[in-house]
Amino acid sequence: MKRSLSSPRGLSLFALPAMAMVLVPVIAVVLRTNWSSFLTSISTDTSRTALMLSLRTSLLTTSLALIFGTPLAWVLAKREFKLKSLLRALCILPMVLPPVVGGVALLYAFGRRGVVGAALNDWFGWQLAFTQTAAVLAQFFVAAPFFILVMEAAFGQVDQRVVGTARTFGAGPWRTFVTVTLGLVRPSLVAALVLTWARALGEFGATIAFAGNTEGRTQTVPLAVFSQLESGDDSALALSMLMMIVSLGVLVALRGKWISALRRGF
Amino acid sequence: MSLAMYCRLKRTKFVLDVELSLTPGRVLAITGENGSGKSSTIDMIAGLLACTTGKILLNGEVLDDSTTNQFVQPEMRGVSTVFQGGGLFSHMTVEKNILFGRGAEFKNTPKFNAAVEQFNLVGLLTRKPSTLSGGQRQRVALARAFLSPSEILLLDEPTSSLDAVSRDEVRRAMKGFFETYKGVVILVSHDAVEVAQIATDVTNIKVTRGETTTAKLTA
Repeated sequence: MKRSLSSPRGLSLFALPAMAMVLVPVIAVVLRTNWSSFLTSISTDTSRTALMLSLRTSLLTTSLALIFGTPLAWVLAKREFKLKSLLRALCILPMVLPPVVGGVALLYAFGRRGVVGAALNDWFGWQLAFTQTAAVLAQFFVAAPFFILVMEAAFGQVDQRVVGTARTFGAGPWRTFVTVTLGLVRPSLVAALVLTWARALGEFGATIAFAGNTEGRTQTVPLAVFSQLESGDDSALALSMLMMIVSLGVLVALRGKWISALRRGF
Repeated sequence: MSLAMYCRLKRTKFVLDVELSLTPGRVLAITGENGSGKSSTIDMIAGLLACTTGKILLNGEVLDDSTTNQFVQPEMRGVSTVFQGGGLFSHMTVEKNILFGRGAEFKNTPKFNAAVEQFNLVGLLTRKPSTLSGGQRQRVALARAFLSPSEILLLDEPTSSLDAVSRDEVRRAMKGFFETYKGVVILVSHDAVEVAQIATDVTNIKVTRGETTTAKLTA
C-alpha cells in the first residue's frame, strides 16, 4: 500500500486517447520523413522561396503587431470608454473565426472592388489583394489578436502605484511608459511576440483566400505544403517536419509563459 | 516653505475633506482606519489624483486648483514617494532604482555614496528587487527618495508589510533620513508606536456617518 492521498482510480487511463490523438500524428511525420533527403527537400527552389517568403512576411507581421498592437492593448487595459467590451470582442474575434472567413472579409474590405480597396484602386492605383502585402495583412488579421490579448493582460497587471512612483520621481508620461511600464511587461512582451510570430508563420486559410497561392509571390510555407501534398511531392512531408521543429522550438522557448499570461487576463 | 491643502475628494461611496498646513522640519503622521482616505490624501499631494474641489499650494504656488483648472503634473511637483512594498521597478537593478530620479551620471557622487552607506545598500546595488527582503526593499525605496531633490516627502505605510526586525531597521533608517531632510514629511501609518517614535504631529482621519471623512491639521 502506497502511503499517499488516494485519487480517482483509473481516471488517468482516460487521458490516454487524448494524448494519442496529439502524439500519433506528430510521431507519424517524424517516422515517415526521409531524413537522408530532408535537407535537399527543404532546399528545392519552391521550398526555399516559400521559406524566405514566410520568414519575411511573418517577421513583418510581428513588427506591425508590436508597433500598432501595443497601443491598442494599452488602450483596452487602461482606458475607460463606451463600447469598450464590444471593441475588445471585435479585436479578438479573429481568434475564434475560421481563418478562411477572415480572408473573405479581407477580400471584401481591401480587394479590388472591396469597401476600402475600390477607393485605394481608384485614387492611387493600389491593388492589395493577391500580393505580398495581402499575405502580411492576412497574417496580421489572424495573429495580432494573440498579441493584443496577451499584452492587454500584461498592462492590466501593471501596478499603478509603481507607475505613479516613476511620475513623482520626475519622469514624464512618455518616459514612464517606455522605461517603466514597458520594462515591467517585458516578459509578457517577449511571449506575445513569439506567439504572434508562430501564429503568423502557420497562417493558411486567410492567406489563400486573400493573397492566393502564387509560387514566389504569395506562396508561404503552409501553402507550399498544401500544394506539394496535392501533387504528391515528398517535400510536403519535409516542410511539415520543419514547421513542427520550429513550433516545438517556440513552445520550449516560451515554457508555458504565454499560458500564464493568458490566464492572468481572464 | 510651506504646504497648504484645502481639498475635497468625492467618490461614489465617500467624501474626503482634507485641510492641511505644514512647515518644513515637521513630520506629520496621518492615521485612520482602512479606507478612510489616507492614501488618497497622499495621491492628491503627489498629483496622482486631482481634488474634486479645492486647492493645494506649495510655497504659495498652485499645485492643484479646481476653480482655475490648474493641475501641476507629478513630475513637476518636487515630491518624492515611498510606498508600501517599496514601489520599486522590478525590472531594474537596485542601482538603477535609486538613480531613477537623478540619472546615471549621478552615480559615485558624494551624495550617492552617502546614501548607499546610510541605507546600508553596499553589496546590493547590482541585485534585482525580487531578490531582496522586505526591509531591504524599503531601504532601497528610502534611498531613492533621499537622492531625489524634493520639497515634500510622502511615505505611505512604509513599514506595514514588514516583520518586527525589518520594521525597526527601516524605522531607524527613516529617522536618520528625516533629521537631515529640509522639506515637509507626511507619513501615513496605522502603527501607534511608529507614529509616537517618528512623527512630530499627528492627524487622524475620522470616518463619520460611514461616508464623510475629514482630516484637519495645522503644524
